[in-house]
Amino acid sequence: MSKIYLAGIVVLVGLVGVLQLPNVVQLVDAQTEESAAGPAPTTSWGDPDLEGIWTRDAEVPLQRPSSFRDREFFTDDERADLDRRRAEIIARDASRERRDSNGGGTAEQDVGGAYNAEIYISHLRLGQRTSMIVDPPNGQLPELAPRAKEEHAALLDFSLNLKRATEVCENDLPACRGGEYNTTPWEDRDITPPFYITSRNALPGGGGGVVSRSNHPEDRGHGERCMSSTIPDFRGFRRIVQSKNQIAIFYDTGQGQGWHRTVPISDAPHLPSNVRQWWGDSRARWEDDTLVVDVTNFSPKSNFLGAHENLHLIERWRRLDAETLEYTVTVDDPTTWVEPWTAVQTLKKQADQMNRIYYEPRCHEGNYGMAALLIGAREDERAFAEGSGEDPALKCLGACGGFAAGFADEGDDANPLR
Amino acid sequence: MVDRVKSGLMVGVLFIGMAACNVGGPDGAGGASVPRTPDGRPDFSGIWQANNEAHWDLQAHEARAGMITQEGAYPYDYARVPAAPVLALGAAAGVPGSIGVVDGDGEIPYTAEAAVIKQENFDNWVDRDPELKCYLPGVPRAMYMPYPFSVTQGANQIQMGFTFSNAARLIHMDPETTLPPDYTYMGFSLGRWEGDSLIVDSNYFNGRTWFDRAGNYHSEQLTLTEKLTLQTPNVIQYEVTIEDPEVFTRPWTISMPLYRRMEPNAQLLDYRCIEFAEEFMYGGLRKEQLVKRWESETMIIDVTRKIPPGERLHEWYGR
Repeated sequence: MSKIYLAGIVVLVGLVGVLQLPNVVQLVDAQTEESAAGPAPTTSWGDPDLEGIWTRDAEVPLQRPSSFRDREFFTDDERADLDRRRAEIIARDASRERRDSNGGGTAEQDVGGAYNAEIYISHLRLGQRTSMIVDPPNGQLPELAPRAKEEHAALLDFSLNLKRATEVCENDLPACRGGEYNTTPWEDRDITPPFYITSRNALPGGGGGVVSRSNHPEDRGHGERCMSSTIPDFRGFRRIVQSKNQIAIFYDTGQGQGWHRTVPISDAPHLPSNVRQWWGDSRARWEDDTLVVDVTNFSPKSNFLGAHENLHLIERWRRLDAETLEYTVTVDDPTTWVEPWTAVQTLKKQADQMNRIYYEPRCHEGNYGMAALLIGAREDERAFAEGSGEDPALKCLGACGGFAAGFADEGDDANPLR
Repeated sequence: MVDRVKSGLMVGVLFIGMAACNVGGPDGAGGASVPRTPDGRPDFSGIWQANNEAHWDLQAHEARAGMITQEGAYPYDYARVPAAPVLALGAAAGVPGSIGVVDGDGEIPYTAEAAVIKQENFDNWVDRDPELKCYLPGVPRAMYMPYPFSVTQGANQIQMGFTFSNAARLIHMDPETTLPPDYTYMGFSLGRWEGDSLIVDSNYFNGRTWFDRAGNYHSEQLTLTEKLTLQTPNVIQYEVTIEDPEVFTRPWTISMPLYRRMEPNAQLLDYRCIEFAEEFMYGGLRKEQLVKRWESETMIIDVTRKIPPGERLHEWYGR
C-alpha cells in the first residue's frame, strides 16, 4: 500500500469517546407518543417558552427522493421498507469486500469511507415527510441561478482537474464523474481556486476534503478547518435559553464545530451592509406564538448549499406542544436559486438531565489532522523531488469517494433516500 | 376606627415585605433599581464587557513598550524596546499599565515550583498562550477579555455567549444536576442565589487555559467561586475566588466591575478567530509560504520565531 492518505483522520478529537456505535446496525425509533405531550408552555413574562434541548428524532431528507416526487408523506409500509434497506446497506458497509465490489477498494476510498461511516451515519428511522422542503411543492431545491451554476461548473472543473491523474479517475469511480483519466497531472494544479473553497456541496466524491489538494489550510475546506457550522442547521442539537429581550441558542453540531448564537429580539435595523458575518445578523420578533428571525449580512466566505453573501433567511420557531418545536425556514437568494424555498423540521425536546453535559466545540483545539495533512503533503513533495517517492499529483487528497455517511456514491449501495 | 387601625397595620406589613424583597444581597447592592425577572431575581440579561487591563495581566503593572520586547541599546530592564514580531505596529503594539484586579496585597500565591512555570509562560508568551491559537478561553478569562459577551437569563439556567471564538458557558441552576464525565475548557458551572447575588461554583477545567496574557495559569484542580452582583442597572460587580492546590498555596480573589454595553443597538459580532490563527499555526506548512522578505521602500522584517521543543502544536496539546 504505497498511498498514504491522511484526509480521513482529520479532526477526530472533538468527539472521540462520545460516539459508541453499535456492532449490530439498528435504526433507532426515537419518536415519542405525540398525544402524551402537554400544551406549549409560556414564560413567566408571557412569551411562548422555547427553552430546552432540541433535536430531530426522525430522518427526513432535505429533498424528496426521486421515486416519491408527487408525495408529501410516506406510507407506513414505505417507511418500513426504506428503513430496512437503509439498515442493510449501513450494515454491509462494515465489510471491506462490499466496498471493493462497489468499484472502490482504493486506499483513498477505504480511509475516507471508514471515517465518514463512523461519524456521520444517521441511525434514525424515517419520518413521515418525504422531504423537509415543503415549497416548492415538489420537495426539490429550485433550479440554480446563473451565478451559482457558474460557480459550480468552475469548481467542478477545478476539482476534476486536480483528480485527473489519480486512481479515482483511472478506475472511473463516481468521484470522477464528469471528468476523464489523464496520465499527465494537471499542470495548473497550484493555481488559486476559481472560488473560495467552502464545502463540497454537489461536487462528486464522498469522504473527507473538498478538493484534492493540500497546498494550504484553505484548500481543505470549512469542515476540516473546523468552520463548517452554518445556519440553518438541520443536523445537530440546539440548546435554547430565553430571556425577554434575547434568545441564546447553542448549537452542538458537526463533530465539535458547535457555536453560540445570541439572537436579539429587536426591531433595530440590521448591521450596515459592509459588515458581513459567518452566521449572518439575526433580528427576532414575536408574531403571535411564533418567533420570527430575519437573518442577513452573511459573509462571502459563509456557505449554505452554495449560497454565500446574498443569503436571506426567515426562520420561524414555534412550539407546538410541550415536546415539539417546529422550525420553518424560508431561504431566499436570487443569485443562488431562481426562487425562494421553504423547509420544515420538527424538533423534539430532549431530557435536560440526560443531556446535561455540555459538549463544548473542541474541533479546532484538537485539529491535529490539519497539521498532519499539510505535513504529509510536504513530505510527499520532498520525497518526489529527491527521487524517492512517486508524484504527489497521482494521489487523491480530497473528495475521493467512498461510503460517505454509510452509503456508496452510486449503485445498489447508494442512499435509497436520494 | 378599628378598621383604620387594621388597614394601617396591613400597609405596614406590606411595606416591610417589599423592603425585605428589595434590600438586596449581603452587600445591599442594587436594591429596587436593578432590573428583575418576574420572579424577583436580579436580571443579568444583556450585553456586558470588562473595561480594564486584566486580560493583559491580572496584577498591577506598568506600561510596556511592546507585547513582545527585547533588550534595547541600553541594557536596563526599563529600557527594553519592541521586538521583531510587533515592531511594525509602532506604539499600537504597547501594553497599557494597570492598577491590577487581584485583591489584598495584589500577589498571586503561587507555589515556588508554579512561580517558575508562570515566569516561563510570560517569557514564552507567543509560544504558549492558548489565546493566540484561538483556543477556547476558559473561565474566568472569557469574562474580562476585551470583547463583549451576552448573558441570557432563562427560567432555569443562564447562558453566556462570548465574542472570542464564539465560546459559551451554561450556568446550571438545578442543584440536582449531576457532574460531567470529563474536563473541559469552559468548565462546569452550577449557580445559586445568595440574596441578590448570583454565586457560581465552577470546576472540571482541563488545565489548558490561562488567566491572562502574562502567563498566569492553573491546573485541572482549579475551582472557582464567582459572585455577580448588580450594583446598578448597568454595572455588575464581579468577584472570583480562585483555588487550585496544585498551583497556589491559598485561595485568592480578583474583582472588577463589568459594564453594560449601553449602545441601544449593542450586539455581539462574529470573532471567528480560527481563520485568524491559521497562518500563525500552519503558515509554515503551506506549499508556498506567504511570509517573505519585503522589498524596496517597504519595511523588511525578518521574524525569527524559534518554537522550542515541547512547545510544538502536538506536544503542547498532549501536555
